[in-house]
Amino acid sequence: MTQLNVVGKSVVRPDAYDKVTGGKHYPVNYSLPGMLHGKLLRSPYPHAKIVAIDTSEAEKLPGVKAVITHADVPQNVFTPVYFVPAHAKSMVQDFVVMSDRVRWAGQPVAAVAATSADVAEAALQLIDVEYEELQPVFDPEEAMKEGAPQLHDNAPNNIAKAPSFSFGDLEAGFAEADHIFEGVYQTQRVHTCYMEPRVCVVDSETDGRITVHSSMQHGFGLREKMAVALGIPESKVNVVKPTYIGGGFGGKLDVGHIEPVAALLSLETGRPVRIEHTRGEDFIATTRNPIKVYLKTGVKNDGAYTARYIKSILDAGAHATHGAEVIMVHGLYGTFFPWKCPNQTWEGFSVYTNNIIGGGYRGYGAPQGCFAVESQNDEICEKLGLDPIEFRSGNTHKEGDPHPVLQGHTLNSYRLDDCLKKGAERIGFDRRAPANSSEGAKKRGIGFACHPLWVSGCLGFPDIYEHSGATVKLNRDGTADVVSSCIDLGSGQITMLTQVVAEELGLASEAVRVVYADTDTAPFDAPTHASRATYSAGLATKAAAVETRNRLFKAASAVMEANPGDLYLEDGKVLVKGAPDSGVPITEITARAESAFVQMTEEGPRLTTIEEKGTIIGSASQAPPSNPSPVAAQFVEVEVDTDTGEVKVLHVVHAADAGRVFHPKAAEGQVEGGFQQGMGYALMEHLQFDQDTGACLSSDFLDYKIPTSMEMPPKIESIFVESNEPTGPYGAKSMSELCLIIPAAAIANAVYNAIGVRVTELPITPERVLRALGKL
Amino acid sequence: MALTSVEAFHSPADKASVVQLLQKHEDNALIVAGGTFLHGLASRGLLTGIEVLIDIQNSGLDNITINTDNVVIGATTRFAQLETSQEIAQEAWLGAVKDAIAYPPIQIMNSATVGGSIASSCPFFDLPTSFLALNGAAQAHGPDGSRDIPLEEFFSGLFENSLAPAEFVTAIKLPQPPANSASAFIKLETNANDLAIVNAAVALTLDAEKKCRQARVFVGGGMGETPVRASAAENLLTGAVVDEDSIAGAGEAAKSGVDPISDHRASAEYRAAMAKVLVEKALRKALARVD
Repeated sequence: MTQLNVVGKSVVRPDAYDKVTGGKHYPVNYSLPGMLHGKLLRSPYPHAKIVAIDTSEAEKLPGVKAVITHADVPQNVFTPVYFVPAHAKSMVQDFVVMSDRVRWAGQPVAAVAATSADVAEAALQLIDVEYEELQPVFDPEEAMKEGAPQLHDNAPNNIAKAPSFSFGDLEAGFAEADHIFEGVYQTQRVHTCYMEPRVCVVDSETDGRITVHSSMQHGFGLREKMAVALGIPESKVNVVKPTYIGGGFGGKLDVGHIEPVAALLSLETGRPVRIEHTRGEDFIATTRNPIKVYLKTGVKNDGAYTARYIKSILDAGAHATHGAEVIMVHGLYGTFFPWKCPNQTWEGFSVYTNNIIGGGYRGYGAPQGCFAVESQNDEICEKLGLDPIEFRSGNTHKEGDPHPVLQGHTLNSYRLDDCLKKGAERIGFDRRAPANSSEGAKKRGIGFACHPLWVSGCLGFPDIYEHSGATVKLNRDGTADVVSSCIDLGSGQITMLTQVVAEELGLASEAVRVVYADTDTAPFDAPTHASRATYSAGLATKAAAVETRNRLFKAASAVMEANPGDLYLEDGKVLVKGAPDSGVPITEITARAESAFVQMTEEGPRLTTIEEKGTIIGSASQAPPSNPSPVAAQFVEVEVDTDTGEVKVLHVVHAADAGRVFHPKAAEGQVEGGFQQGMGYALMEHLQFDQDTGACLSSDFLDYKIPTSMEMPPKIESIFVESNEPTGPYGAKSMSELCLIIPAAAIANAVYNAIGVRVTELPITPERVLRALGKL
Repeated sequence: MALTSVEAFHSPADKASVVQLLQKHEDNALIVAGGTFLHGLASRGLLTGIEVLIDIQNSGLDNITINTDNVVIGATTRFAQLETSQEIAQEAWLGAVKDAIAYPPIQIMNSATVGGSIASSCPFFDLPTSFLALNGAAQAHGPDGSRDIPLEEFFSGLFENSLAPAEFVTAIKLPQPPANSASAFIKLETNANDLAIVNAAVALTLDAEKKCRQARVFVGGGMGETPVRASAAENLLTGAVVDEDSIAGAGEAAKSGVDPISDHRASAEYRAAMAKVLVEKALRKALARVD
């Protein structure tokens, strides 16, 4: 790898000070003069038809400026997911912003704009809605049965999408097996728990143009979906990129209701309208889809796979939206292609129910798959007495293998074996005792899991946007500005972009600033999701910075009377190769470029050159060249109290091949934050609903429990097995989502090692542990 | 739903002014101190009609007094103050108090008050279970002056207590027990700022032969509308040598005596099983603390 000055160093995050002193640029803090406040009226019923709505009393309440219902909302049907076209063939179009048909408890049926949020809230109580209740169905397998209530006309048996893949000869594979293992693995509904709520401020102009400020993960996606929802041209919608947002984790990857509704209310009133979700509203706005995985695997005595059959049933909720894509990613990258098995069939079902709509959440179908497959892998090794590390190594890919999904691409960098080896060494895997062998009521166990195939973006997936762009401009004071539509979710995208530009322009990272961008002025970028930002936006920004450098060298060659090809950058200076004393500061070149041809000096007028004139600027917009797979293995030690069923995680070792690590501290932060979410998924998080009414039982963090710092294990170690990904920026590929994909499987395997009983349903609550132990 | 109906916030400097405000605003007034439960109650629609908040943190009620016959903890004493109090830390008989405040995170420790934990009358709180085991009484102040209400009478239902109109809690009083006394508290929770799924507190007094002279055993957290006294467990222990046999018997008795709720956090079956486990663990912990 080449010598780097900025990339690979834990530079100071430019947004850190701002955030710890209040974070005034969070969208939740945005306001405009004369702004109104909107609130949504939500259906108490999970399945109903709206017979009539009377808004007259609400309209009379002082302070109320507008009330809208489904009758005021264009009935445009589309896919609200940001990262695909609104009418993508690979997705399902079944969503309208407001409808006279209710399919989940909490679905918005009317909205109010008023002078304050309290007045708007009060007005909601005055809206009279007459519903005709319909029979709901909450369980996807019940929903698939004949005679179940049908949610959408064009989806018989409530199946929104049923993809499948197959290769080899399944029957022959199972016939060839020495052992066959079968299991059912169930995951639950959870929320990403971003700290900043979904919130927007939408303003409108008299000519119908609208400007949107929102806490979301994709400005261009929001622009497109707003235009489709409202039935106006995209160019009439300008989405301002938030400086940063207070977390998304995939939970802000679709237009829900607030932005289009705020736009309609703004167009009606001529005033800006702000809508902010309460935490209770956020809980029902997005979720990781629960998936039930039926898994049957044939193996030889030596542990080699011979056949695998997988059936995955995903609870899509009321609309397919993300559920149509999560099932695909779960199939492709969560269960089917990560492992090498000669005869495989996977069948997926994305099923409508009267539950809340699913959304994105880091890992997007893979945590559910990893939990199922890695739990069963652990069972296989246990039953057959196989070395669990050799077993993984033997059934996965190797560096240089063809990419199992992407035709014509190669696994250029792939160090899973190193991750397994180094992780095992660090936690002391060889001291692991047989299952359920520790004395006393508190039993310790060590377990691990790995995920052998993941993404650095979405290249290769049908219909998913992937290209990125940037503009880089050098200023006369020796700083550079970057315009990029890549949104920082809190995971450090701003820092990453400054590192790239600083590296290419020979600047300190502090000299680079990521500045204002909106969809009117900045080049397109796909969302910050799918672990893609460093790889895709990083590469595009690097290309823009190279353009800028070329432009700088062109100006410098005029100033310095040298060939541009002989120039290089060091310590803020342009130098001629072979003449280290020749340096001219970048500031001088930039000043000359941005000045008049004739310059007055003490000695009289001085002529400069025409060639050196013009802003030193570069831009690029490009798709990434590939989609390299990061890999990781995670080892966990737990203690299980067999009296109460409580599980405590004591020690975590996460070993990852992320290619070149851009920012070691940020990378460790990803491991730790990802583990926190993954541990919540494994042990406690569960968004629950009343089984009769479909109402969400969690309205805030009193009811929905996530790990706090006090539940975090005392020791989390990150090991980065640095490889060089030749297609990536400076050898980098992705890393973030794997930190969350693996923990549930690793923890479940450690719990098994502690108590000798397997829990196959998440979360592994104390009560489930005691039931598994036969103590209840 | 936020506290949209609140129109006034008072911060009276003495008890008499608190009573005056309560008399004036009656059911529309709510006493607040640390405020840690305010949002939770309000967002569940449990504080509708509250128009006046009375903050008693400036009413001089945050003293801890150690007397020969009792310990008096002022209502606005914060958990953090309790934690740093040497007197409380040293006394084995106050172990259940020390244990209960060891669970919450620093934000709660710095805000939540002893009086609030009692006056809220929430069966999922921790200090009430401990104070009940310690035979505590709430000191209430009202238009007719001050009176002590034994906590077993004080807690009368879910979020309900026996305070008279315009009365409020000014302190908790814990009687000094005989020598050789110790107490302990244990809680099951999902995370550090959780309400108890189940909790248990025990207080023991042993005689010179290490036999149990007196035992008080309470379980809370979904056991009922208030923490529940495990009388059968107490009877079993009293007069017995406290050992693994009697501890197991007491645990079993505690389990048989409860009829817990099922909710989305735990089933009644699990809660009942945990009543046994936690009572046993708390007894062992208390026993280890007796000199």
